Formats: sequence, structure tokens, C-alpha cells
Amino acid sequence: MEKSVNAIIPGLCARVVVNEGDKVSAGQEVAVINCMKTEISVTSEWNGTVKSVLSKEWDELEVGTPMVMLVVDGD
Amino acid sequence: MLKVINGGIETLVEDWPGRLGYLGKGMAPSGAFDNVGLGFANLLVGNPAGEAGLEVTGGFFQGEFLTDSVIAVTGTDMKPSINGSPIPMWESVAVKKGDVIAFSHIGEFGFRCYLGIAGGIDLPPYLGSKSTCIFGSYGGFDGRKLQPGDEVKFAAPRGKLKDLVGRKLKKEAIPEYSREWVLRAIPGTNTSPDYATEEGMDYLFSHTFRIQHTSNRSAYRLEELPEGFFARLDGGVGGSHPSNILDHAYAMRGALNICGNTPVLLIADGPTLGGYMCALSVINADLWKVGQGTPGRDFIRFRVCSQDEAVQARLDRKNLFTEDALV
Repeated sequence: MEKSVNAIIPGLCARVVVNEGDKVSAGQEVAVINCMKTEISVTSEWNGTVKSVLSKEWDELEVGTPMVMLVVDGD
Repeated sequence: MLKVINGGIETLVEDWPGRLGYLGKGMAPSGAFDNVGLGFANLLVGNPAGEAGLEVTGGFFQGEFLTDSVIAVTGTDMKPSINGSPIPMWESVAVKKGDVIAFSHIGEFGFRCYLGIAGGIDLPPYLGSKSTCIFGSYGGFDGRKLQPGDEVKFAAPRGKLKDLVGRKLKKEAIPEYSREWVLRAIPGTNTSPDYATEEGMDYLFSHTFRIQHTSNRSAYRLEELPEGFFARLDGGVGGSHPSNILDHAYAMRGALNICGNTPVLLIADGPTLGGYMCALSVINADLWKVGQGTPGRDFIRFRVCSQDEAVQARLDRKNLFTEDALV
């Protein structure tokens, strides 16, 4: 099953720290958002593999904007 | 007592009116960014309106209660839950030892929510306030935002816990939230004709400004002013930009600093003096709205207000937190 890791707060995308094909585990940081002059970590809820990276630096984000698409393990 | 499992994006101990009387020492007043949200959370759990509570910014706070208590959540709807079951907002709720409270992300409207706890938070006031100044690293809980493992102590409730459960705010008493926050403000101290043009001030009081994502408890940064705002070509002895003036005291909280071309609202933890002109001051009664303005999403508009209206609005705000507001 595919799941997207979404922005958790409005702001600007600082960076996505994973690449297509990377294995990620639940709790692992996959992206960083700039808001309130602070870097806020966005973590994966699932174990899986990165299918695609959907955000890049300076993108404006809303809560819920997809940042990384995963293929979740075990499906 | 509440043991922090996840501090979320930014969770702070804040009271109201904060740390007053130290502007001359360069110390901001801090205090709850949305003092109305905190006031109602306290009213619901039987506390004085200005008692310290938790200000949850951005969401994702999680904690375990180590004692029975009564709580109330106000502000933006972060889908608060106890042990995974949703709890109502703007209403007092009993919690038992071992219960876990959790918050999700911000709601459709607003940016901060408040957790009021019967009795309030048991911390020694620093210079007369329990509020945290995160940029100064003093006050509140060790001068910082809460982290996993922190244990936040509660003071003794004012009344029996069972009598404090189920207190509910009247629907009409719940503040109106929006994505466009109208702030009443008084022009000055640096305005037309000396510092800004008439057209510039008209623009300031008619344009709807987007809140920049760089806004925080120190300052809310708005989108840039257009050409023609300034009445001067430069700042004279104050500096090369027309927003520069010789250093002066800022009317904290609520002054609108013009920093270069960027209007910057100075609030909670903001600077107490500096060398930029201040074009208006937001009235005290409307400061709470700034705290619910969501960076990168919401907008702010200023409306001219008289001093009499500002004083009356402040009295009206003070009178909000009475038993009459409850069902």
C-alpha cells in the first residue's frame, strides 16, 4: 500500500532528507519544514520504501501537503 | 502532575498578563499569546483567568497524568484525546492517573490551544510571572519548551475536583476564529506626515497582510509595504533606510515596527527598544487574535480605533471570564 508523509504545519520546505528507493522506518525523519524560524522535523509513521519525493526546498506547504510517497512494508 | 511524552512543536508554560515592569531592563512581558484562550481554559477549571496553563503551538503534544485532575482545552481544534478517545473543547473534563492526553495538528482555524489544569501549574514565579520567555531562556519550565520526560506539577485545585467537571462555555461566548484577523489599532507613534505618507497609512489600514511563515512569539512578520509608504528619503541620523530612527522604546506588546519595508508586529517575547519606526499599536484587547494567526496561512488587517474604544474593549475583555459565560 502507498502512503504519503504529509506536512504537519504550514511553512516552507527546508529539505527532504530521503531519496527515491531509500528504506525508511517508522519514526525516521524524512523531511524538514521551516516555520516560526525553527526547523520542524517530519517523520514517517510507517516502515517502507520511498517511491517518490514530492517536495523541494522553498515549496510552500499547508498542513496535509504530501511531501514523500512511500510503499509501506508488509502489503 | 503531568509527565511529558512528546513536547510537540512548541509547548510552553504561560500565564497572563505575563512579566510586567521590566521593559526598562530589556525583558519582554511574554505571557499567553492568546490570553482569551488561556482565560477561558482557566475559568472552566475554576482558576483565576491569568493562572498559568500550557500553550500548545502547532500541535502534537502528548503527556501522561500522574494524578487525578480536571482539565479544559480551548483554542484551535487540535483534536485533543484522552487514551485515544476524543474529548470536547471549551468544557472541563475529569482525568485519572495514568490517562494519556494527545493533540494532533492545528485545526482549520487558529494556531494555538491552551490546556488549563485545575489549580494551575505549580512553578515558582520568576520576576512575578510563571510565563516562559523562550528567546531569553527564563521563566516557566526551566526557561524552555517542554521535552519528553519533564514532569509538570499542578497546584491544589480551588474546590473539589468533582464540582469542577462538566463546566461548559456558552456557545456564544466561544471566540470567533477566522483566517483573516481584524486587529483594532491606534496610529503612531511614527506616522504621517513626518514618517509615513497619508497614502501609506491608508494602505496600512486597508490592506490585508499575509502572515509570513517566519513569525513566532517574538514577532509576527507581515508582507512588505509598497513604494510610497515612507514620507522620508532616508532615516537621517537614524540610518540610511527611511524606516530607521534613533533608538527608542517600543510600545510592547502590540507595536507595529516597520523594519526596512517589512511591517513586524512585536508581541509576547518581542524586543523592548530599537531603531525602527512604529506606525501603529494594536490594542491590548485584540492581542489574543495575533496568537491565533497561523504563519504562512492566515491574514491580518488593521482597523483604526480610538483610545476610548481601546479602553472599553480592554474592560470588556476583562469581564469575559465570569460564571455568566458558562452554561
